[in-house]
Amino acid sequence: MPIDHEGLAREFEYVTQPSEQESIRAQLESGDALMQEMAYALITGDHHAVDALTRQALSEGREANDILDEGLISGMAVVGVKFRDNIIFVPEVLIAARAMKAGMAHVEPILSASGVKPLGTAVFGTVKGDLHDIGKNLCIMMMRGAGFVVHDLGVDTKPDEFIEAADEHGADLVMMSALLTTTMPNMGRTIAEFEDMGLRDEYKFMTGGASVTQEFSDDMGADGYGDNAIACVEKAKELVGLARAARAG
Amino acid sequence: MPYVETMTPRERVMNALAGLPVDRTPVSNPTNVATVELMDLVDAPFPDACRDPELNARLAATGYTDLGFDSVQPYFTIIQESSALGCEMQWEQKDNWPTVRMTNPIWKGEADVKIPADFLEHRDTRSVTGAIEILKREFGDEVAIIGKSMGPWTLAYHVFGVETFLLMTIDDPAMTMRILDKLKEATVMYADAQIAAGADAVCVPDHATGDLVSGEYYKRFLQDIHTEMAERIDAPLILHICGRTLDRMPYIAQTGMAAFHFDSRNDPQEAMDAVDGGIRLVGNINNPETLYSKGPDDVRKEVYACLEAGVQMIAPECAIPLQTKLQNLLAIPEAVKDWSAERL
Repeated sequence: MPIDHEGLAREFEYVTQPSEQESIRAQLESGDALMQEMAYALITGDHHAVDALTRQALSEGREANDILDEGLISGMAVVGVKFRDNIIFVPEVLIAARAMKAGMAHVEPILSASGVKPLGTAVFGTVKGDLHDIGKNLCIMMMRGAGFVVHDLGVDTKPDEFIEAADEHGADLVMMSALLTTTMPNMGRTIAEFEDMGLRDEYKFMTGGASVTQEFSDDMGADGYGDNAIACVEKAKELVGLARAARAG
Repeated sequence: MPYVETMTPRERVMNALAGLPVDRTPVSNPTNVATVELMDLVDAPFPDACRDPELNARLAATGYTDLGFDSVQPYFTIIQESSALGCEMQWEQKDNWPTVRMTNPIWKGEADVKIPADFLEHRDTRSVTGAIEILKREFGDEVAIIGKSMGPWTLAYHVFGVETFLLMTIDDPAMTMRILDKLKEATVMYADAQIAAGADAVCVPDHATGDLVSGEYYKRFLQDIHTEMAERIDAPLILHICGRTLDRMPYIAQTGMAAFHFDSRNDPQEAMDAVDGGIRLVGNINNPETLYSKGPDDVRKEVYACLEAGVQMIAPECAIPLQTKLQNLLAIPEAVKDWSAERL
């Protein structure tokens, strides 16, 4: 149905790139009035409303997967665009993520039980020697909001911890974050340890962080770089297919 | 006419901070210029140099004696007060900065905010005030001594955790204001102690960066607090905020602080336009690419761009990467002197 929800229609005006307008409009319009209300509640960070609306939707017999796509992921797509374009900042993203979590608490167990395949699987940590995690956490929120399964390895993650986690979870992507200029080179050292173990081609590697650039990421030997959380998700989507193709030989 | 310097480094820095004439643009780094090479040179490695006044002063002095900067800065990290407040620390080793374990925050809410009675006597706050006393005895009025006192916003990240604090700003803005107001007292108290020890100016890092919050957030939560600090602290203050800050520079320019130390993600000319003469600018040589990875010629280009824009004090954008090559740091004062000589 067309975007009838007045608030949601206003929020959609922040989506200005034609390709995004097309895809996000399609996502939002795939939902009915309840789903659009849920998407709006998520965008505005009303976690109590998202909690109630998700429970209502499930009690009315809607599929968990539809709620995820039409109510939650569609709303998070608008949040991602607004964040990238500096219309909103981290606090506003955090309340949207909290709302997403409130909805996922009801939906995720159903999806897990039904064996729905995620978009991809990633392990994600802040590298050794670095205790900063806000950038990593934002990316993880956005990736989960886009349908990835992401295993959060926390901060100060040593190379062998990345290697173990990637193997244990059957990851497609190994994702590394660093804030400090002293720890940024540890992204390259982590990739080198995968190489030493003969595992470099098993995964795709992504890097990011406030001071990390595409040039630095290339120097580290990574496959991809995200300048912001939404770019991170887009690059992850691109790389996950390549990772699976590489493993398939 | 040959190029002649007529001011001491201290006079140069203090005049620049006051908006008075200088013989040439001063070179400084209000955050710090410690590197592993300098630690080896004077046998003052991290983390001991962050915790021992004598080692601290010895390493800080190299900014003047070995690099030729116009100031020295004996506070190398952003964690000294947080350690004194009781935060869990990861002290690391020579090639990495000590950090607060923000994933294990010590406070949950407003009732927890208490500045310990021995705050200024804690080993990790005394290491800086003690180092300032040593530097003042050693250098007198020759070189500017720049202290550092973390602002309430950064302290809040450390004691509550970044996400918890940022969520608090939305869930309970009034409580957030009260907490910032209480934490501000730690900033003022520590700045005053450093001035009493001999600091000529104080850097106030307060990381309300554009990477995390909006310019309107700065105005709403911090502009008045920073204004009050500028009124109460009896020395020139240099506000430092990393990342994109152009949108908040007009507000920063109204605080009465002497200068703003800005990041390379802001173009020098655009920054000068944004503050419109309301505050002096310090900056903004890029750290991770230019100083860390490139060479002296690239450093020189960025120094010249700052000088051409009219930036009043030339500095790396923030605490420099510890593995930065000395030749790149030496290139900063060299470039400033060459630029000045070319304009005689």
